[in-house]
Amino acid sequence: MKKRLIALLLAGTMAASLIACGGPSDSPDTTPSDTQESTQQSTESNSGESNSEESTPPADEAAGFSEAPMLADLVSAGSLPKVEDRLPVEGDVFVDTTDAAGSTLEIGTYGGVINLAGAGGSWGLSRPVLEGIIRFNADGTYYPNVIKSFEHNDDYTVWTFKLREGMKWSDGEDFNADDITFWYYMCHLTNYDTKKSWAALKETVDGEDAWANLEKVDDYTVTWTFVNPKFPADFIENGDFKWCWAPEHYLQDMIPDSIYVENPYWEKTGLDDEQVLLNAQAKGIDAATVSDLGKAVAYYWWNEDGIPCLNSYMLSTKEGNNSRDAQLCILERNPYFWKVDASGQQLPYCDEIHFNATSEDGQDQLMFRSGELDIMEVAMQDIASLLADLGDQAYLRELASTNWGSYLITFNYTCKDANYAELFANPSFRQAMSICVDREQVSGLLTDGFLEPGQCAPQEGNFGYDAEWEQKWTEYDVDAAKALLEECGLVMGSDGFYDFADGTDFVLTIYTYTDLGLSTTAYPVLEQYYNAAGIKCATKDLEVSAFDQEIDNNDWYAVLGPHTAVGGLSLKSRVQPFVPIAQSAEWYGEYGTYYGTNGAQGVAPEGDMAKLIEIYEKWNSTPDTNERDQYNLDIYDLHKENLWTIAYLKAAGAYSLVSSKIHNYPELLVSDDLYQYQNIVHYWTLFKTE
Amino acid sequence: MEENAYKSESMQEDVPKKPLMTAVGDFFKKDLVQYIVKRLLMFIPTLLLISILVFFVIQLPPGDYVSAHIAALASEGEIVDADYAAQLRADYGLDLPIHEQYFKWIKDIIWTPTDSTYYRLYGSHHNWKYSFAYGRDVWDVVDDRLGLTILVTAIIMIFQYAVSLPIAVYASTHQYSVGDYISSIIGFLGAAIPNFVLAIVLMYLSYKWTGNANVGLFSQEMLQNGIHLYNFGEFLKRMIIPIIVIGTSGTCGIIRSVRAQMLDEVGRQYTLTARAKGVPERTIIMKYCFRAAINPTVSGLGGVLSSLFSGSTVTAMVLNMQIQGPVLYKALQAQDMYLAGAIVMVQAVLVVIGVLFSDIALAFLDPRIRYSGGGR
Repeated sequence: MKKRLIALLLAGTMAASLIACGGPSDSPDTTPSDTQESTQQSTESNSGESNSEESTPPADEAAGFSEAPMLADLVSAGSLPKVEDRLPVEGDVFVDTTDAAGSTLEIGTYGGVINLAGAGGSWGLSRPVLEGIIRFNADGTYYPNVIKSFEHNDDYTVWTFKLREGMKWSDGEDFNADDITFWYYMCHLTNYDTKKSWAALKETVDGEDAWANLEKVDDYTVTWTFVNPKFPADFIENGDFKWCWAPEHYLQDMIPDSIYVENPYWEKTGLDDEQVLLNAQAKGIDAATVSDLGKAVAYYWWNEDGIPCLNSYMLSTKEGNNSRDAQLCILERNPYFWKVDASGQQLPYCDEIHFNATSEDGQDQLMFRSGELDIMEVAMQDIASLLADLGDQAYLRELASTNWGSYLITFNYTCKDANYAELFANPSFRQAMSICVDREQVSGLLTDGFLEPGQCAPQEGNFGYDAEWEQKWTEYDVDAAKALLEECGLVMGSDGFYDFADGTDFVLTIYTYTDLGLSTTAYPVLEQYYNAAGIKCATKDLEVSAFDQEIDNNDWYAVLGPHTAVGGLSLKSRVQPFVPIAQSAEWYGEYGTYYGTNGAQGVAPEGDMAKLIEIYEKWNSTPDTNERDQYNLDIYDLHKENLWTIAYLKAAGAYSLVSSKIHNYPELLVSDDLYQYQNIVHYWTLFKTE
Repeated sequence: MEENAYKSESMQEDVPKKPLMTAVGDFFKKDLVQYIVKRLLMFIPTLLLISILVFFVIQLPPGDYVSAHIAALASEGEIVDADYAAQLRADYGLDLPIHEQYFKWIKDIIWTPTDSTYYRLYGSHHNWKYSFAYGRDVWDVVDDRLGLTILVTAIIMIFQYAVSLPIAVYASTHQYSVGDYISSIIGFLGAAIPNFVLAIVLMYLSYKWTGNANVGLFSQEMLQNGIHLYNFGEFLKRMIIPIIVIGTSGTCGIIRSVRAQMLDEVGRQYTLTARAKGVPERTIIMKYCFRAAINPTVSGLGGVLSSLFSGSTVTAMVLNMQIQGPVLYKALQAQDMYLAGAIVMVQAVLVVIGVLFSDIALAFLDPRIRYSGGGR
């Protein structure tokens, strides 16, 4: 499975960055004409060129549209408009023909329920169904999704979004430019959605924060205008910028005057905070403050029933099944969903998605075995036994990881104790920490040999992969490690452990947080190796919020399994994991805080840490894809050089066990935050046979 | 033989017989009313003290709801800036000094005036505040599972007492018999095996034998359509494992203690006397020995009310039962202090009330117990 992935990813990801941000070229006309685009988006993005148009029947080839029997019943009962009237106008309908890995989708049949395990956190219900502005393929290419097209002017200061004419919200109301201006001026700039800080729509003008100017050109066209160039990576490709609409007809009576921001499109609603809360309550939305309400209805809106959406499925309004905390949470098909398959059948295929909350991992497995779940995420140690038991009742899918390794350890380079800070800054120390561990043995002990030995580096198939980097400092050699430690100025004490040159004890306190369970699994194993190399160590296992607090307060020395680690798809996905620009990842500690607070707090970066920021700023200010990739690779080179974080094993992928009844679950996917993890599976194209 | 019969009759005649209602009336007329009033007055300082403890203990772990919430968001790949955290803290009043937070909390629980947003929103004078983790009013969250929790734990408790008391009486009157040994073995096993282990084993066996692990109290169908007469059988089937798991451990405890007490009582002089006077064995055991032997069990009833409310958390989680226990667990994990505080406070109130009830029941059962000083 891994080898096949490599083939796809290697070709894909490299090509991705070349193609993605500007589409086939960097001209404003990169996006094909509207109709073409909406009917061929998956093939276009497949390789970046429209190389297989013939395999994708255009929408008008489909002999009309058809719909699920349950909807046909409603139509004949007169309670729902005909399918043609529910879909966007011809040519603006999205025809889904290939999966995110580029394989042609099987034409499915209607009906059935997809049973999943519990939804989990705030994003859980959105993962399988969220429809974003654009959609990524597994190789990093992307295409317009909810919007029909996007384009920019020559200097990247004006971006134009065209919408699909006739597209409707899940309650049948028209979806148009007003929903976008409403979202921007009433929900976003008012900080009602609590996300005004998003970088995608923000820029700096004369040293001050400024926001884009949004204009409605006509009912189906809007433009975003910036003062400075706004390059794709910071706008359309920005992982935060997933949607820019809100159902104006539904949310109008939930926006109070207290947050109003002057704008050319929307007037004050005349409502006070309390009235807004009462209005929300009348719609079954419970909130204690306006800020809670805004976050619930304008940000995590998929968690509230009744809010119209554009997703393939929407939260059921049925009491008892309409909350992500319910034991059985149900998503029902959106009768106005705007995608069809190659034969013109309106998607999704399955009637419902059920989230079955469990309180323990083992329960998922029992439920899967007894046929109560159709798809579940599975830990690698359980794969062999489950597959052996289930035989041909299920198959395994791996969503490749974009992480840079597993069993990672990183050090506090801005440690308050000068002795430690100086030691951690010395590359020889990190090399010693890396080579004093027998990775082969660790692999066997901790993963039954499942994960191969490796270093903290992009995994094979990912952007920036480098075989030499992957093997750097991985050869096990205790004597060499000791020599390196002595080179760092440590002195062997009478107790058989190294001390600092000034005679003070050197104890490496390794922080972990309980959810990962590393303090009882990996730590005891690694401790043996560290001790054998003369490094005295201790562990401090904390509940995750306490852990984060220690990191924020800069009260730590080393971390095993960082909460926010280095790694990911590339800078395109997120910058913070690779460059110290925010109070975010452990490996740069207070250096990130310095940049994030404009120097008000934190420690000024120096040396290679400072270089990372220099290169990042260049990366950020050029639209040229090749140049950007080169800067990205330059940043990677610094990581390779310094190895601020050490990994002992290669990264683990995300594994899904899928019932054989489920069809169209793609192979060769990649799990990443930019792709919204499971969202890349395209649940609306899955169908079920008994 | 005849003489014996005569004696026994005369002994029973010696005991003056009172109608039950008169007995109950007499019982309450005495010092007990005074005692109950005193105890009720004691409620106020006790609960205040408990509330202080609850509030501060919940706040003891480092961080607060906001830091826990941000950590959870970070796990989902979302990055939250410091301004947002500060804004959240200000919104929820988490930036106030802890004693101010406490006074505001307790004041709103006791009385939220009619002229308040809360009252207009929820129509209640008792504002238990907002559960951060569930994004709903705290009392709503608690109320959601209250009915089911009480139903499930009541069924389990009835099972416990219905099974354990007869077995205990049998075992004590047939000491060292085969039946006694069997009940002792089962008793020890039940007490020794941790509930959650038993739960896992039973779920596995259920899956092996029936192809269905019976995870949770409801089938998907029930969760969609509710419990009706036609699927009540399925519900009862799904109650088997929880009853066995939670019920047996309690059962074993009761059997052991009642059996030991009974053995004590059976050997007492009054038993010998009664037996010598020819009182029928059944009367001796049930009317005298048993009544005395269940004293410790009755005084333990104080905690029962509270366990009715919270259920047994670990087992509920293993069995995926949607009752109150796991909610408390989640609340504590997420540092959702108002929700956790509410659950613990309600439990505390129930313990206090439960203890009062068990004291009254004890006095009723054992006339030697009096409450207002001095042995009269």
